[in-house]
Amino acid sequence: MDIDAIIRELKGTLLNTLGDHYDGFKKATKADLEAFLKASEGKLSRWTMLLANGDLSIDDYEWLVQSQKDLMEMKALQQMGISKISLGHFKNKVVKTLVGIIKGLLL
Amino acid sequence: MILQRAFPMLLSSICLTLVMGCGTFKSALYDQHSYQKAVEIKVDAARLMDKASEPYSNHTQHAEEVLAELDKMVIYEANKPNNSISLRMWKILADSDKNLLAGFIKKWEADGTLNPILVSEAQSQVAEAFDLLIQYEGKKEKATEDSLITLILKKE
Repeated sequence: MDIDAIIRELKGTLLNTLGDHYDGFKKATKADLEAFLKASEGKLSRWTMLLANGDLSIDDYEWLVQSQKDLMEMKALQQMGISKISLGHFKNKVVKTLVGIIKGLLL
Repeated sequence: MILQRAFPMLLSSICLTLVMGCGTFKSALYDQHSYQKAVEIKVDAARLMDKASEPYSNHTQHAEEVLAELDKMVIYEANKPNNSISLRMWKILADSDKNLLAGFIKKWEADGTLNPILVSEAQSQVAEAFDLLIQYEGKKEKATEDSLITLILKKE
């Protein structure tokens, strides 16, 4: 099994789900996604070992790999949602500050 | 002088642009029901999956109950405004063509019984998926709390 190829596919799923959002992510968010990919690598190695030892059938192995892909999609959605919340906060703060400045100028 | 007069207008325009664009960044507020149901279904799913080395036919009723709970949540989440992300996450869990909770049940039904090693690995995958959902809902709590504090402070 070519684990690197599977990881590349997982990254593809991640970037497809995130689209243009990824570039706008903070360093911490990107690091979190990288950690998730690293954890995926660990799982894939374990599953490959189980397959090689005959503890998992090829069908079960493929099922698990696909489940990691689906999990990756959920992780991407979660990060997108969290970053949306943070952006909303930031925007509210900017509006409040600007309103404060306008008030100061007008009153 | 002209600049001094124009400045508040310029700031007002920026504010207006930001406020008008707020929809892009809106997300549903924290919902205790969603949070609680995610926790409950996670626990129930783990209990059900524990039995997946046994014949599916012995656990059909329990499996159908879990699937029904998932479907209910998809409908519930679909009817909340600005909730597309949570909805998509629930849909992945409830989609029998994906390989998380509903997909696991579909495989169990098709295969009759499942390999205990697969069951254990799949349990971790499904638990992780629920954790992502639960953590996301939890993040909304802070956002909701902040909005409420702002609202209360405005009224005072």
